[in-house]
Formats: sequence, structure tokens, C-alpha cells
Amino acid sequence: MDASVLLALRDPAGVPFYPIIFQVLYILTWALHAAFVLLSLGSMGLSIYGATKGQSDSHWKKLTPHLIQTGKISISILIVLGVAPLLFTQVIYDPNWYVANTLSGMWVFIFIYTLVVGYSMYYWYYYANKAQKGGDYIIGIISFAILVFAGILMHNFAVTSIMPEQWMQMYAPNGVVDDSGWTFNVNILRLAFLVSLSIPVVGIFLQNYSRFLSTRDDFDKSYISYTAKLGTNIAIIGLLISAVAFVLWMLKIGYLLNPLSIAIIIGVLVLLYFSKMNKNSYITTLVLVVVALLISGMRELIRFDIMSNLGYSIYDYPVNLEIPTIAMFLLTFVVMGFTGVGYLLSMAWKVGKNEGIFDGTKDALVSKLGKYTLNIMVAWMVIYFGWGIVILFNNTL
Amino acid sequence: MDVIGQFPLFYFPDYGSAWMMGITGTIHILASHTSVGAAMLFAFLARKAYKENRTDYYPYMKKYGMFLLIFSYVIGSITGPGIWYTATAASPRGISALIHNFVWVWATEWVFFVYEVIGVFILVYFINKIDKKTHLQLTYTFALASVGTLALIIGIISFMMWPGTEAYYTTGSASDAFFGVNTFPHMFLRIGFMIMMSGVIGLLISSSMRKDNAELSYELSKKMGYISLFGGFVTLLSFIWYMGTLPQNAHAVFAFSKDAIIQNRIVLTVAFSLYFALAVFKPKMIHPAMATAMIFVILIGGLWSGEKLRESMRKPYVAGQYMYSNQIISRDVAGKGIKNELPIIAEKGLLALNPFVPKRLKVITTDNKLEAGKLLAKMACSNCHSLEKTGVFRPMKDRLVGMDKEGIKAILYTIGDGGMSYMPALKLPEAEYDAIAEYFASLKY
Ligand code: HEC
Ligand code: HEM
Repeated sequence: MDASVLLALRDPAGVPFYPIIFQVLYILTWALHAAFVLLSLGSMGLSIYGATKGQSDSHWKKLTPHLIQTGKISISILIVLGVAPLLFTQVIYDPNWYVANTLSGMWVFIFIYTLVVGYSMYYWYYYANKAQKGGDYIIGIISFAILVFAGILMHNFAVTSIMPEQWMQMYAPNGVVDDSGWTFNVNILRLAFLVSLSIPVVGIFLQNYSRFLSTRDDFDKSYISYTAKLGTNIAIIGLLISAVAFVLWMLKIGYLLNPLSIAIIIGVLVLLYFSKMNKNSYITTLVLVVVALLISGMRELIRFDIMSNLGYSIYDYPVNLEIPTIAMFLLTFVVMGFTGVGYLLSMAWKVGKNEGIFDGTKDALVSKLGKYTLNIMVAWMVIYFGWGIVILFNNTL
Repeated sequence: MDVIGQFPLFYFPDYGSAWMMGITGTIHILASHTSVGAAMLFAFLARKAYKENRTDYYPYMKKYGMFLLIFSYVIGSITGPGIWYTATAASPRGISALIHNFVWVWATEWVFFVYEVIGVFILVYFINKIDKKTHLQLTYTFALASVGTLALIIGIISFMMWPGTEAYYTTGSASDAFFGVNTFPHMFLRIGFMIMMSGVIGLLISSSMRKDNAELSYELSKKMGYISLFGGFVTLLSFIWYMGTLPQNAHAVFAFSKDAIIQNRIVLTVAFSLYFALAVFKPKMIHPAMATAMIFVILIGGLWSGEKLRESMRKPYVAGQYMYSNQIISRDVAGKGIKNELPIIAEKGLLALNPFVPKRLKVITTDNKLEAGKLLAKMACSNCHSLEKTGVFRPMKDRLVGMDKEGIKAILYTIGDGGMSYMPALKLPEAEYDAIAEYFASLKY
């Protein structure tokens, strides 16, 4: 594909805001998506180990259902968080995204039903584990495998989208058009690195878990220290594996000495140190967030370089500024999003720390945030209808 | 080199890629409408439970919530991106048009989604762990967030039908595109349906509770009957309002199957009015098996046919009445600097302009004519018709039955001159017409 074609594939409507904003939002939201992908795969995988132990071990008897529950909630969250990068990627890299999706059209369709089946089976796993009739781990393994397969399909879309030089060969090998949508590409090192991160992520999660529960009297001390130690071991082993995979991947594509890649390696070493010490796992988690952002940035850098070398720079995308809707987004995101999610998370945190019934009306923070959220939402609706009526009035009279 | 921004073609044999969207779309609509409806119902029940101190409602809400979580959230949240993904494969430029007009609207909707997804877990799992007042407040915000997602998506799907006014074409502004005459009627149509669905699902749950608590089960079944009747009534009224705000071309397609559609709607209305009346007057007769069956009736009799209708009425466009279903831009949109592609296609042809046509098919020769004709037919027609002799989706075999090459060519000319308002006025160079006609004739439908 030469530049003229890539440029022609851009949407003629242009982009509604400066491309760099979409790029930044992409990096940010993909890191969030990835975080929950890794947490769900990690906790799911570890829970299967726990499920094979059944009722025989008193610690795992408690831990396994918690891991399953974590995986379950994380899947929901990773899906909703995946929507945002899905939006932003196709605003600025629409040629890439649409070619990958049409070439892999069958896989796109399969992806959706893979998720439906995999996640439904996960619920089955959850109930089977609750019932304790044995055999639950088999269901767990199957749903885990299905969800990993969903991840491999995602990976296919991502790598196909950055192979513009080969698109024509994929679509029409030897000049004969193949519109069946079965294109499939994998880049083993990249995939292995990304998936391997689920090990350290679940390790650090366990450290947090143990720290969080340590203030509750209904969890005994030996359980708290057991999970902390388990977390530390998993985190260390996982970080070492991921570090090797990362270096191999970077070597292969010639980015090892890139500043970003070096920053990631340093970040991993810091993580290794922090998780080995396990002084305050919440701080380790903050470092993890930074490293996740760097990795997300690395993915974008690779794509950006491939495309600029071909003469396609997102920064040259024609802009058709669109003020009202971006104002709506920013206001909703900042005002409603932060207040609302703050409300939900602070409530969840406090309920988790509490034994018995949590009285939100007596908690100043929760009751205030709740009131604000409700009022903001009501105001949002009023503005929405007002705005719509004014526009309609203007345009039809 | 002249190119237009067309993508590789993805074609699902016999059924067409539009069917894949139809399946995912229908499931999604059932799940998403149920979940918004249920969120409203939740707020209603939580209020009653709190004000009248009906603690016996909470187990019902917990049960309903579990169902909601598993059914609506698992299925709804996957099929939502699912429609989007399949639409991308089937109609990349259609999706692109929507994304590039409405990315911030979608991003705003996403904020509501995040709230909903975290909220639903808290709502269901903490129902016994937080005080009732806080719980009530949470259900209110949850209901508002759910309605918010509808308020945001509705303008986008209404724009797929048409922008609703002329303003968008000159300003290119997303708010002019979003708030058309069709937007609010469409919104109330869906709110009515959501309320009805919340009752329909509610009946399944209330009727299956009778073993535990017969009295409560009947009381709730009765309530669900009223709620469904109310929702159904809103749906019906809004449907009439909605039909009045559709563009000309929609009515042209509607005319094809008007009688069958009206018949279908009347049968459904009568059947469901009876069902809801039964719930109100004889709640004991509502059985879980019956409630399940009615959900399937809605899914297949109501939603599948309704979605097919909506897909048809949009024809020949896929978005904003400037993008044809077959991925060609059919008019200028001055406000965005979008240019009509029909003139250049009429002059140079699709083979030359589409960057994904392999070199050996760029120029039609006697050797490659059938192959080029097949590719052209797929590019021009397959988004709306399946081409095989075994085709199922608005199949060409029934529409060109027994025709020879000249007859087919005459039809292509008519289509190209805009003689059939429900099909793209796609004018092609003579050589391309000839290749398409030769290909169709060779199939001997
Ligand atoms: C935008 C979607 C769309 C595209 C693209 C399209 N058609 Fe159609 N076509 C329709 C619709 C809608 C009808 C009318 C409903 C029906 O016949 O089921 C129709 C009807 C027809 C009919 C029957 C006409 C009649 O009035 O009885 C023929 C023949 C036909 N199409 C041929 C073609 C050919 C050939 C192409 C490709 C050049 C094509 N169509 C492309 C949507 C489309
Ligand atoms: C179990 C389900 C899922 C798993 C395991 C998963 C995993 C992944 C992985 C591993 C990648 C990185 C691929 C690579 O760079 O090589 C990725 C990227 C991505 N995922 Fe997911 N994902 C899942 C579901 C989803 C869903 C439902 C969505 C959309 C709503 C989504 C949206 C995205 C997007 C937009 C990207 C970036 C693609 C790009 O721009 O290159 N994911 N996902």
C-alpha cells in the first residue's frame, strides 16, 4: 500500500478534533483495558489451580471463590473498557482498523460468539464452584481456554492492522480475490509478552488483596500472610518471565535500545524490587499503572512508526472541529464520570472493609457523592432535552 | 492515480454479511432494552419497598438483579460491541461515517456504560450489605445512567435512517445530525418497549417465585401486567408518531411489505394485550413456561421482523442519506467537505477506482470478464442481495429469474439512472455494466 492509497482510505469527514488527543486517549484507555484483561486472565488461571484443590486446603477454600469472583467482574469491566480504545483507534487509524476487520470478517463474527460462550461458561464455572460438587475446574479450564482464544483473535486484529504492506497479498493472493474473511496473523513474541503479564498482575493483586483484608477481624492472620506470600512469589516469577519475553520481542523488532523500551525495562526492575519487598502494595500498583501506560505507549509507537514510514501521519489528518459534542464529552467525563465512579468505588471500598451492614447515610463522603451524582445526572438530562429542543426548533422553523 | 476510499470486501456466502448483523443486533436489542427497562423497574420497586417498608420486595429484586446481570449484562455488553464489530466487517465505511461524526457522543455514552457496569455489581451484590436509603439512591442513579445510554445512542441510530433536517449537510455539525425530527419519537418508541420488556421479564421471575411465596408472586405478576400494558401502550403511540417522521425513501420500501407488516403488528398487539390482561386479572394463570415462550415470541415475531424492517427502510443508504449501503458516497456534504463519488465512478468505473482490486482485474478483457463481473456484482449489489442460486438474503435469484443478458442490462441501466429509489443510483461505464450482466446471465437464475 502506498501513501496515496492509505490517505484515500481516511474518512472524508475528517476527524472532529486534534488527532493527538485521540492518540493520547487511545494510549490511556487501552492501558485500562489491558489491566483488566490481565487481571481477569490471571485470576481465572489461578482460580483453576485452586479449584483442583477443592475443599482440601483451608486457605484455598476461601481464596478460590474470591479469585473466581474477581475474574468474573474483571471480564465485564475489560469489555466496557475495551470500547473506548475501539472508538479512538478507528478515528485516527481507520484505514488500518477497517482493512483488518474486513480481511478477518469471519473472525470478527466468531470473536463475539466466542466471548458470549466463554463468559457464559464462566458463570457456569462460578455456580459449579459454589455448589462444590467437584469437576468445576474442568468447566473453568474450558472457559479459560475460550477466553484466551478471544484474546488471540484480538491480537490477530491488532497485528493485521499494522501490516499494510501485506494487505494486498492477504486479500488477493496471486491476484485472486478472497472475500471469505479468514485472514489470521499472529506475532508469537508480542502475544506471549502481553499474555505473560497476567502472571505478575495477579501476583500484585494478591498482595493488595491481603493488605486490604488485613484490617478485617473475620480473616485470620495466617490466611493474610499466606496470600501475601503467594502474591509475592507469583509476582516475582511472573515479572521475570515477562521481562524475558519483552526483551526478546524488542530484539526481534529492533526497538530494544529505544528510550521507551528502556523505560519499560527499568519500570519492570522497580516493580520487581517493590513486589519482592512488599512494603506497600498499593504503591507497587501505582508503578504498575505507569508501566502499563508505557507498554500501551510502546504499542502505539510501533504502529505510528510503521505508518509514518509509509507516508501516513495521523497528525496530518484533516480536522473538522466539533465543539458542542466534545464539550459534552469532557463535561460528562470529568464531572459525572469522576463523581459517579468515585461514589461507586468509595462505597465498594467501605462495604468491603465493613463487617455487617454499611450505613451510607452516616458516611459523609458516600452520602455526599451520592447526592451529587444524582443531581448531576438529573441536570444532564435537562440539558440534553433542552439542547435537542433548541436544535430542532432552529432547524425546522 | 484516482482512488476512492473503499475497503476489501467481506462476503458471507448465501446469507450475506447483513444477516450476521441482524442476528447479533436482534439479540442485543432484546438484552439492552431489557436491561434499561429493568433499571427503571428496579428504581420503581426500590422506591415502593422503601416508602412502604416492604422488605419482602428485596429478595425479588435480588433475584431479578441476578437475572439481569447474567442475561442482560453478559449478553448485552458483549453483543453491543458485537454489532459494532460485525457492522465494521460488513459495512466499514458506514461505521466510519458514524464514528467520524459522533465519536464524542459515543465516548460520552461510554462514561455512562462504565457507571452502569460497576453499578450493577454493587446494586446486586450489596443489596443486603448497605442500608435501604443508600440503596434507593443508587437505584435512581442507575436508572438515570441507563436511560442516558439510550438518550445518546438514539440520535446516532436515527441518523443512520436520516439526519432529519437539511441543516447537517451545510453545517456538518454533530448536533444537527444528532437531533433530527426522528430522534425523539424513536426514543419514546424504545422507552415504551423497554418498560414493556421489563414487565415481560418480570413476569417470568414473579411467576417462578410462587413456590416460595405465592401471595407475593401474584401481587407482583399483577403489577408486571400493568407495567407491561402501560409500556405497550407507549410503544404503540410512539410507533405511529415515529412512522410519521421517516423520510420518503423509507415509505417506498415500506410499501413493498406494508400489508404483511401491519398484519404482524396487529396480531402481536392483540396477543400481548391478552397476555398482559391475563396477568392483571388472573395472575395465577401465568406460568414460567408461558412467560418464557412469550419472550421468544417477542424475540422472533417482534424484534427480528422489526429489525429487518428498519434495515430495509434505510435503503439505499446505510448512514445519513449520503453513504449508500454498498459503500459509495452519493452526495456532497458541504459542512464536512465530503464529495459525491458517483460522477467519478460513472466515468472511470469501480474496478479502476477501488484500491483493493487486483491489478489483473483493473481492465476488463475477454479472459477475465466473468471474474471481473462477479467481483463487480459483489461490490455493487451483495450488501443487499445474496448472489448465489442458493441465496437467502433478498436473493438475486428471485429478482432476475429467467432473464437474459440484455434484460439484466436494462435493469442495471434503470438502477443507474435512479429509477428504483430503494437502490443506489450507481451509474457505471458500459464495460462494467456488460461484465456484471454477463456474470448474472451466466448463473441462469
Ligand atoms: C442498498 C441496497 C441495495 C443494493 C446495493 C442493491 N439493491 Fe436491488 N433491491 C434493494 C431493495 C430494498 C429492493 C426492493 C425490495 C425487494 O425486492 O425485496 C431491491 C430490488 C431489486 C430488484 C427487483 C426490482 C423490482 O422492483 O422488482 C432487482 C432486479 C435488483 N434489486 C437488482 C439489483 C442489482 C443488480 C444490484 C447491483 C447493481 C442491486 N439490486 C443492488 C436493495 C438494493
Ligand atoms: C476476553 C476478552 C478479551 C481479551 C482476552 C482481550 C485481549 C486483548 C489483547 C491481548 C489485546 C492486544 C493485542 C495486541 O496488541 O497484540 C487487545 C487489544 C484491544 N482490545 Fe481486547 N480483549 C478482549 C475483549 C475486548 C472487547 C470486548 C473489546 C471491545 C469492546 C476489546 C477492544 C480492544 C481494542 C480496541 C484493542 C486495541 C486494538 C488495536 O488498536 O490494535 N477487547 N485485547
